[in-house]
Amino acid sequence: MASGVGLHNECLTVYQELKLGHKYKYILYALNDAKTEIVAESKREVKSKEIADLTSEEEKYKLFLQDLTKGSTCRWGVFDFEYFVEGKRNKLTFISWAPASSKIKERMVFASSKDALRRSLVGIATEVQGSDEDDIAYETVLEKVKK
Amino acid sequence: MVQYGGDEVAALVVDIGSSTLRAGYAGDDTPKAIIPTYYGYKSQPPDADVSMSGIGDDPSAHNSRIAKMFVGQDGPSIYREGMEVGNPMKEGLIEDFNPITPLIRHALEDVMCIRPADHPILVTEPAWNTPANRERMAEIIFEEFNAPAFYIANTSVLNAFAAGKGSALVIDIGHSEASVTPVIDGFVLRKGLVHSSLPALVHKRAKHVLTQPDQNRRGINLLPHQLVANKAPVDPGFEPQFNVREDRLQGITKSWRNWAENREASEWIHSVASVLDQGWNEQAVAARGARQYEFPTGYNYHFGAERFEIGELFFAHPQHLQAANPNLPKSLPQLISASVTSCEPDIRQVLLSNVVLGGGGSLFAGLADRLNNELNRIFNHAKIHAPGNPAERRYGSWLGGSILASLGTFHQLWISKEEWQEHGRPIVGQRCK
Repeated sequence: MASGVGLHNECLTVYQELKLGHKYKYILYALNDAKTEIVAESKREVKSKEIADLTSEEEKYKLFLQDLTKGSTCRWGVFDFEYFVEGKRNKLTFISWAPASSKIKERMVFASSKDALRRSLVGIATEVQGSDEDDIAYETVLEKVKK
Repeated sequence: MVQYGGDEVAALVVDIGSSTLRAGYAGDDTPKAIIPTYYGYKSQPPDADVSMSGIGDDPSAHNSRIAKMFVGQDGPSIYREGMEVGNPMKEGLIEDFNPITPLIRHALEDVMCIRPADHPILVTEPAWNTPANRERMAEIIFEEFNAPAFYIANTSVLNAFAAGKGSALVIDIGHSEASVTPVIDGFVLRKGLVHSSLPALVHKRAKHVLTQPDQNRRGINLLPHQLVANKAPVDPGFEPQFNVREDRLQGITKSWRNWAENREASEWIHSVASVLDQGWNEQAVAARGARQYEFPTGYNYHFGAERFEIGELFFAHPQHLQAANPNLPKSLPQLISASVTSCEPDIRQVLLSNVVLGGGGSLFAGLADRLNNELNRIFNHAKIHAPGNPAERRYGSWLGGSILASLGTFHQLWISKEEWQEHGRPIVGQRCK
């Protein structure tokens, strides 16, 4: 059972740029205001000052969380998660964020549209679903990524 | 393929539970029509049944003898001589389809005052519904109501989605059934689906406790207000002073009496029953205090321990009950454990971190807090999402259907009347997954 909501063309273009070109550190997706389409709401370039200034992965992830959880909006985020297990590795992590403070209509459309986005993003290694900050905290996600 | 987008014509959403049938416009946040699923009926006297002779073995013969049905708010609750009360639901599923059409028709045509033939209709179903049942429902919507389009949506998935979750462990506590359903990426994991008639047991137990005497009080007469002519105020615990409507006593049926007494027990449960947040504890019971409740006969009493004992049944069955009846419906912790352990180990944590609580029965006072405590005692890191808004919880599945059916983008999923006529029953299983 799906909402039938589709993707804006840009969604995949920016994802390819993140995955293949490592141009972005993360991308945020959300529903448009009319709730008829999923759009790439914002993204952060690896070379941007905000990211380049941060030295640890945890700080970068926290910056990502700030953008992901802004307001009471449901969002999906793709984060290029860097971690160390016998050397530096990275995994593309997909996070669904539906805070309890969001409106029920938005949550409903959000959850029933996720599949359309998720299926199009080939190469995601880890998936996390959260509705409060504990669910998507750095340590929690790191643990999942390392599995 | 697509004729009816939700944007042009308001779709309707029909959610049938064992206590009430909810119907309303897609896009609204509460159903416009909420009518009891119980209905009153009068049978034809057997000798008047001449035209029906010869079909005695037909299981529907019982229903074909129904001479008149009384549905809606003025249905079973109004006293009528010789009226029986029936309910089409059994264990959350529609068992008897005959009253379904009149019930839906009443909600749509009499309460909402609309022509069903003008609107696409979305119906909900529990996760354990059978293919034959959903196809029968499609047939009713298309053939009896002439609706232009139909869809049937799973209540567990709707509850999960309404909480913003594609994956969740949905605990749905209704009027007669409690179910635990693992949902992963919007699909029900059938092997983890468990349900039991736990709420019905709690209800039966409450009725039993009330009508039986204990050391402090006598058994309570659950005579409904329809049979009480007048009453005088009495002090708590004293013998009630009331007069029975003798004229009506002769005319009532066993099924009506049973329904009416069950309703009195339900009222008592809704008003005073509760469950302790940390398990049974005499001191906590004493600290929470007694609560006064008055029955239609005028009898009133301060209910102390009884009102908490009832709630405990959701979580554990006392030994004497278990000994007397080994087939008691599973308690909530048993249902949850059975569900979670039948799922693959790698998804168990996802499910437990995303427990969604819904259904009118989950509004039982204190139940959400207790469930949270119990879950965290059994598993690590369990987390419950329970909407704080009672309407969102009680009508969660209706509301989920309402939002979904109101989306313009949802139109590609509707089964249109033309498709139904062309493909027939198999299209339901193909489209509604």
